[in-house]
Amino acid sequence: MPWWLYIALKQLFPSGKIISFFAAVSILGVALGVLGLFGTQSVMNGFHERIGEKLRDTTGDVLIRNFGQPIYDCEKLCSRLEKLPGVKAVERVASGPVMMVCNNVPVFPMLRSYDTVKNESALPFEQKNYIKMGKLDDLDDDGIILGSRLAAQNGISVGDTVEIFSPTMLDKLKKDEVPMPASLKVVGLLNTDYSEVDGNVALVSLRRMRDLYGLGEAVHAIVLRLGANADCEDFAQKLRYKEAIPYRITTWLTANEGFLRVIKMEKVMMSLIIFLIIIVASFSICISLYTSVLRKTREIGLVGAMGARAWQIALTYCFQGFVIGLLGSAAGLALTWLVLTFRESLVKVIVGQEALIEFYHFASLPVKYDPSDALRACVFAVFLCTLAGVFPAVRAARLKISEAMRNE
Amino acid sequence: MSENAENSGAAAPVLEAAGIRKSFASPDGSSIEILKGASLRVNEGESVALRGESGAGKTTFMNILSGFENPTSGEVRWAGKRIDGLSNSAQARLRAGFMGFVFQQYCLLPELTALENVELSSRILGRFDRRAKSKAKELLERVGLKDRINYMPYKLSGGEKQRVAIARAVMNSPKVLLADEPTGNLDEDTAKNVMEMMLGLCRENKAALMLITHNIDFAKMTDKEVFLSQGEITEIR
Repeated sequence: MPWWLYIALKQLFPSGKIISFFAAVSILGVALGVLGLFGTQSVMNGFHERIGEKLRDTTGDVLIRNFGQPIYDCEKLCSRLEKLPGVKAVERVASGPVMMVCNNVPVFPMLRSYDTVKNESALPFEQKNYIKMGKLDDLDDDGIILGSRLAAQNGISVGDTVEIFSPTMLDKLKKDEVPMPASLKVVGLLNTDYSEVDGNVALVSLRRMRDLYGLGEAVHAIVLRLGANADCEDFAQKLRYKEAIPYRITTWLTANEGFLRVIKMEKVMMSLIIFLIIIVASFSICISLYTSVLRKTREIGLVGAMGARAWQIALTYCFQGFVIGLLGSAAGLALTWLVLTFRESLVKVIVGQEALIEFYHFASLPVKYDPSDALRACVFAVFLCTLAGVFPAVRAARLKISEAMRNE
Repeated sequence: MSENAENSGAAAPVLEAAGIRKSFASPDGSSIEILKGASLRVNEGESVALRGESGAGKTTFMNILSGFENPTSGEVRWAGKRIDGLSNSAQARLRAGFMGFVFQQYCLLPELTALENVELSSRILGRFDRRAKSKAKELLERVGLKDRINYMPYKLSGGEKQRVAIARAVMNSPKVLLADEPTGNLDEDTAKNVMEMMLGLCRENKAALMLITHNIDFAKMTDKEVFLSQGEITEIR
């Protein structure tokens, strides 16, 4: 081992001690910075992934709409779509806002259809066990499955009856007809763990939905499910240009593009702010190393007298910064793992689970570790810490032996 | 007189300074000449004491001899090789194996044990191996610190620290040992003990000793005594 490396390590980890106070505090400072940075990025990745997954689960892979109008030739189109390679399911969907009254309290959820005749959906309600306290099979033309939060907020339970008023009833009012609401029995709860859906959506049979909206045999949209790893955008392009389907074709990604972009942007902004913590930590390291150079002036002079060259003396201090950065990064990654493993308990204590559900739509804090984020955080920390060692290193290397030895 | 001194006429010069002049700028902008043509020759294995009043320029002269500072004019030679024109890096490389130093302030590295402090010389020279490790141990035994080799410097007394510093200085078997007031911080008995140890180790390692001291008794223990006054060196014994 080169002597400068040996001295650098000895100054951080002196004989007779596990670690010097300076090294311990510096490593901890960097570790906290890496924890802040990588932890935030992992949580934001988790949000991005979980929100993406829920959006895909509740939107469908590809959506075909008729520019605000119903699709009247849906049966013909659906049989064509079912034959396309890569299509796992095709669902005729009618959806729209309604007024729901229960216990004389009106609420305005979004109603979505489920095809009880074909008993098939492009959304993974059954596969992911999203229906609680009931089954999709229990849904008939007189039944309704309410979002779990929607039900809880309005004190509705399975077995209760709700009345549904659709916008088409306004037309009946205009014609002086008395609109009769549809009385539907709650047969189950929809619980996707995504409060945006659980608090706003209810499922009814396709036939009931067509009736409520006066659609006849038409639908509002056709939703396709593709394979798990399918490229939805690529498939949508194929439908537009190769299959020449004359409707508006979107994917779950383009339909939620703005929202997903905001999450990504939020991650970048938070990372930039937390970068500052590592910069502050590196300043502390720089000051500590510089103080060490001043305190050890005579010792630096001594190693110079013993034959050390200026660049070797400089490397002693640069390497200390490097080691602090390296160990701080490793400790930061370990701390991140530790904190995020126990995140649920921490979230409950710090913000409360309700706040998490209200503001972030999830009952639990999602986390996704991305190795490239870890690598970026570590490289940044190591680089800054090494840089923090450069200034003291230059000062040490420039010391004249004769002046250093006279230092009081 | 020692055997070395008797042979000094025949021995090759290991350290030579000829016509050394050194000026410093004073705070008022004028130039102060500290050394005015000082010359000295130290032969192989010879011990030389340099005395002089405080502020006479003894340490400046030693700094020039060791290459820490360049003279304003004059020549410095190590084993016949002129070093005052060499780069700092080249001087440092030469110095690692050629010179050992003992300072008044001991200058042990506080994060290293006594043994590690001694070993450091061979590490800097780039010759640290198992043999160097056992030599460092032997040297510490030789200076009476066998049971203190793993002590941290703060646990050692002043005399013990200086003995570690002496062991460190001779670790690379240097040709010259430069000692600047090595006993300045020690009590009389300890100082004498350290002085004898240093002279003994120099003899054993056939190293020349250049001792800067105010102490006349210690100066008399060396082969040659010179006095620095008015910027010039006079041989007094």
